[in-house]
Amino acid sequence: MDPIIVALAKAAGLDRALTDFPDDVQAAAEQALNNKTAVRVPEDPAAEPWPPMRAGIGQWGAGHSGAGQ
Amino acid sequence: MTAPHWLSAAEIAQAYANRTLSPTELMTALLARIEALDPQLNAFIRLDAEAAMRAARDAEADIAAGRHRGPLHGIPVGIKDIIDVAGLPTTCHSQILVDNVAKADAAVVQKLRQAGAIVIGKLSTHEFAIGGPSFDLPFPPARNPWNRDHHPGGSSSGSGAGVAAGLFPLALGTDTGGSVRNPASACGIVGLKPTYGLVSRRGVFPLSFTLDHVGPLTRTVADNALLLDAIAGYDPADPGSAASPARQFGRLLDHGVRGLRIGFVRHFHERDLPAHLDVAAALDEAERTLRDAGADIRPVTLPTLNEFAGINRVILCSEAWSIHAPWLRQRPGDYGQLARRRLLPGAFMTAGDYVGAQRRRTQVIAAVEDALHDVDVLMCASSMDPSSRLDDPEETARTYPRQARTPFNVTGHPAVAMMAGLARTGLPVSVQFVGRYFDEATVLRVAAAYEQAAGWHTRKPPIG
Repeated sequence: MDPIIVALAKAAGLDRALTDFPDDVQAAAEQALNNKTAVRVPEDPAAEPWPPMRAGIGQWGAGHSGAGQ
Repeated sequence: MTAPHWLSAAEIAQAYANRTLSPTELMTALLARIEALDPQLNAFIRLDAEAAMRAARDAEADIAAGRHRGPLHGIPVGIKDIIDVAGLPTTCHSQILVDNVAKADAAVVQKLRQAGAIVIGKLSTHEFAIGGPSFDLPFPPARNPWNRDHHPGGSSSGSGAGVAAGLFPLALGTDTGGSVRNPASACGIVGLKPTYGLVSRRGVFPLSFTLDHVGPLTRTVADNALLLDAIAGYDPADPGSAASPARQFGRLLDHGVRGLRIGFVRHFHERDLPAHLDVAAALDEAERTLRDAGADIRPVTLPTLNEFAGINRVILCSEAWSIHAPWLRQRPGDYGQLARRRLLPGAFMTAGDYVGAQRRRTQVIAAVEDALHDVDVLMCASSMDPSSRLDDPEETARTYPRQARTPFNVTGHPAVAMMAGLARTGLPVSVQFVGRYFDEATVLRVAAAYEQAAGWHTRKPPIG
C-alpha cells in the first residue's frame, strides 16, 4: 500500500482497519481522491461557504431569533 | 372493490368515514399480508404488530366517538430504522447499534402520533443509510416487489418495498443523496425530499448534517401531500429547522399544469450520465404528456451531475466521518463492507476539501436558483437505469451512482420522484420534479397532473 495512505490512515487512528481491512482503507483513500478532484473550488477568494454564518437561534429569519424580537 | 391493502390513505380515511372499513379491519388485513409477503421482501426489521393493533382499536373507538384527529387518523405508517420510535430499537440496520433502544420518539413520529397515524414497525435500510444493499449485515436486504431478484433502491429500501407491495400505505424515509427518491423510483411509487429544514431531523440518526432530509413515500401524490402536512413544521431542537408558514401541501393538486413553465434538464440524462434507453424513452413520454396537458416546457442547463456528485460526496464523507470516526477506529469489523468503504473516505478528506466543497455549493445553489427564476418547476431524470439484480454487486455498484438526485440534496430544493413507466424487463422507471424552496405545493401540483394524465399509479407489482 502507498506509504502516504498508510501514514494518513494511522494519523486518523485507523490502525485496526489497516490491519484487518487494508483493501477497504486503500479503496477509501482512492475514492476520497476521486471525489475531491471532482469539485471545482471557486477561484474568487471572497466566495463563501454554505451555509453562511448567522447569529442568533435558527437560521431562517428574526421570527425565531432572540436578537430580532 | 379495491382490496384494503391497495387503498390510498385518502381512500382509507373516506372508507372510515363511510363506515365501510374500520381501523382494526384494515390492520388485520395488513398484518396478514405482511405475514404472507414480508418473508419474501424483508421490508421490516421490526414489526410491532401488537402495538399497531392496540393503536387501531384506540383509533376505532376515537373515530366512533367523534374524536377525529384528521386525515391520517387510524392510517398505518412504516418508519425507516434510522428514525427513533420510543421503546423500539433504532438499529440503523447495523451490528453497531443492534441493541440501541430509542428512549423517545423522533419529532416526525411525535407528529404522526398527534395526527392519529399508527406506527406499524421499523423498516429496512442500507447500513447507516449508506452501506447497501448488503448481505453481511444483521438483517437481510429488502427486495423489490416488482421482481424480488432485484433491489428496491435505497437507502429507504423497506419503505419503498413495503409501500409498493401494499404492506402499508405510507412510510417515512430519509434522503441524503437521494435515499427517499431512489426507492420511489425503483419501486414505482412517489417519494418526496422536502426543502431542507421543512421537516425536523430530531431523533433521526444523522448521516450528513447539511444534506439529510426526512421525506414521505406513498403510492399516490395526494397521500404524499397528506403525510407531508403531518410531519412538516418548525422544530427549535433541529438546528437546521426552518420557520416556514407553508401548509396544506395538497392545495394545488387539482390545478393542472396549464400555463406552468417547466424546465427540462435534459443534459443530466443525455450527456452527463446517458440513461438506459427505456428511461430516456419514458422521460420523452413524460415531456409529451405534460406538454399535452398544457405545460410550457423549456430546456434548462445546470452544472454537471459529476460536479454535484463530487460536492455531495466530499461533504457527506466529511460530515459522516465526524460521526463514525470513533466506531471506525475501534470497531471496523462491526460494519458491513459497503458501509465501511463508503464511510472511510472521510478520513482522507482535509478541512480544505470540506470548505472548498461548501464554497462551490454556494455557487451551484445560485445556479439552480437562477434557473428557477425563469421556470416554475424543473423536470429531470431520477435513476438512469432500472434496478439491478441483488446478486450482481458489480452491476449495482455501476448503476447506483447513475442518478440525478444528489443535486437537490446539495441545494436543498424540494424534489419528488415518481413512476414514469415500466422498462421492458417489467421494472419501474421514473421521473423527477424539482421546485423552489418551500414550494412543495407546486412540485406536487405538477406530480399530480402527471400522475392523472399518465396513470402509472394504477399499476401494481405482480406480488400477492
